[in-house]
Amino acid sequence: MPFLEATNLHKTYSLGRRNKVYALRGVDMSIESGEMVAIMGPSGCGKSTLMHILGLLHGPDQDLDPPATLTINGNDVTGMSEKVRTRMRASSMGFVFQSFNLVPTLTAAENVALPAIYSGRKRAEANMAASEALEWVGLSEWADHRPTELSGGQQQRVAIARAQVTKPDLLLADEPTGNLDSASTTEVLDLLRRFNEENGQTIVIVTHDAVVGNACGRVLTMLDGVIADAPAA
Amino acid sequence: MSLVRNLIRRKLRTSLTIIGISVGIWALVVMSSMANKIGSLVEGGSTYFGDKIIVSDASSPAFGLGFTPIPISIVDMVAAVQGVAVAVPQIQLPVELEVSSTGFGIPDFIVGAVADADQGRETFEISVAKGRLLVPGDEGANVVVLGADLARKFDKGIGETMEIRGSEFEVVGVLEPTLTAPDTTILMPLAATQILLAMDAPILARQGISSEELATQIVVYPETGADIDALADAIESSVGQVQTITGDDFDEQIGSATAIFNAIILGVALISLAVGGLSVINTMAMSVAERTREIGIKRSIGASRGRIVRELVVESSLIGLTGGVIGLVLGAIVVLVANEMGRSSGTILFQLTFGTAAFAIVFSTVLGALAGLVPAWTAARLDPVEALRYE
Repeated sequence: MPFLEATNLHKTYSLGRRNKVYALRGVDMSIESGEMVAIMGPSGCGKSTLMHILGLLHGPDQDLDPPATLTINGNDVTGMSEKVRTRMRASSMGFVFQSFNLVPTLTAAENVALPAIYSGRKRAEANMAASEALEWVGLSEWADHRPTELSGGQQQRVAIARAQVTKPDLLLADEPTGNLDSASTTEVLDLLRRFNEENGQTIVIVTHDAVVGNACGRVLTMLDGVIADAPAA
Repeated sequence: MSLVRNLIRRKLRTSLTIIGISVGIWALVVMSSMANKIGSLVEGGSTYFGDKIIVSDASSPAFGLGFTPIPISIVDMVAAVQGVAVAVPQIQLPVELEVSSTGFGIPDFIVGAVADADQGRETFEISVAKGRLLVPGDEGANVVVLGADLARKFDKGIGETMEIRGSEFEVVGVLEPTLTAPDTTILMPLAATQILLAMDAPILARQGISSEELATQIVVYPETGADIDALADAIESSVGQVQTITGDDFDEQIGSATAIFNAIILGVALISLAVGGLSVINTMAMSVAERTREIGIKRSIGASRGRIVRELVVESSLIGLTGGVIGLVLGAIVVLVANEMGRSSGTILFQLTFGTAAFAIVFSTVLGALAGLVPAWTAARLDPVEALRYE
């Protein structure tokens, strides 16, 4: 059984009463445990929408025939309540965003500790996990600095540490190198590859960047709301 | 820590909100302290008048300050009424010859009575902080026991002499504070007050009435189980030319007036707090709007709605608590300073109780929490994806 399997994912947004946007038009995909997969495609092809659904931030359209299914690590997530999805985001998923999305008032260490706290760990435990995660990304000495005091590459590494702090099975990255120079891009990719290879973490990256695509084991190309390639055998 | 940083981040707006709440709580504390003081006075009066009947001349003004002389012979007539256990003649005189307007509270006055004449029936207990109470043997001597506020006002201690209405008196005792009438009272032997009264009204002497025949009121202690109001009526009808005051009369006239006063001042304080509460809602709503993106980040990496609500409500409670503490401190300063200034004139206007202080703090904190609840709930309902796009 694949680690992540999706069938017939549709997503329709209403912009006003008559104007509907069909962002996803039947995505079928399957990702094995421990894969590092890039999802590529032109702007507006539905990559981000797919990421939001995989990240449990939005649900796919319901009441389709055949119905949309999405299972992650054996859990059917389509029928989950908001509460359960939130808990799953905290404890078994990591998120990396294009614009880093660190909380500006918190230090690097405090930012990294957040998912651990949200997943219900005690503060002391969360702080320990955070300093460990900062060590993985090589930013231990920046633990007490605020995001504004860090470079873009450093901020993204803090964000990766945050995504790793609960040692999740799945890491989702949305254009993780979109705001970085090539040196930082290399650093970030090396980190992600290390987590994939050493810990067997499943990683899904949405990207425009061919360099990122090449670093991944497999590339899925999206076009007009569907995945153009055939799903992995 | 991040909580405090969030508040500091928006220094100006947060401080303005805290000032708003502080002013509200300050008003609440000062006004409640005033209400407390009046409450204590009224309660003291209610307790004092509760189990007895005060008989005075029909022409005397109401309430305790019956300064129209009555012949002491009435005491025997009153004592003879069925149901009267003990009737004690008293003289009440203002301390100052010219009674000035004292505004709130009770004017300073002298109470003259033979010590222990109540035969142990007085239930309103007073005790001395220094020196001693009057004893029956003090009759004929010029000695006084001062109420707590008056001892401070005149700055007199045990053994010192002071001039009262032109005569010299030795201070033999100072009362414990009661927060009610005895604080502004001078206790004096009956004979001494009779002489003071006679000097004040020379016409009595010309009419050949000697000072020993004078009183201004008679305190009647009913027999156990007697119907006080019926007894008061019986005294008025059988003695004639007198009026009676009972505990019910006191509660009716003074109690109801102060209840209205209390309602007004509490109303004023609550209105100012409503304004403070609205300003917390405003601050928190703006703060939520400003932090939309941050809330989106937290939600997307796994913060539950409950946690978002909690964080924001704790933040707004902290605003309320801070405002409450500042308001309480300001209020306490006003109360202390005003009371200290008033002490020299014997006018203690405020009484800040633990209950009032605790209420002010709890109230402002709860107000902050409630005011933060609506914006917090709005924030928690945001779509994380939308919130992340927010700039």
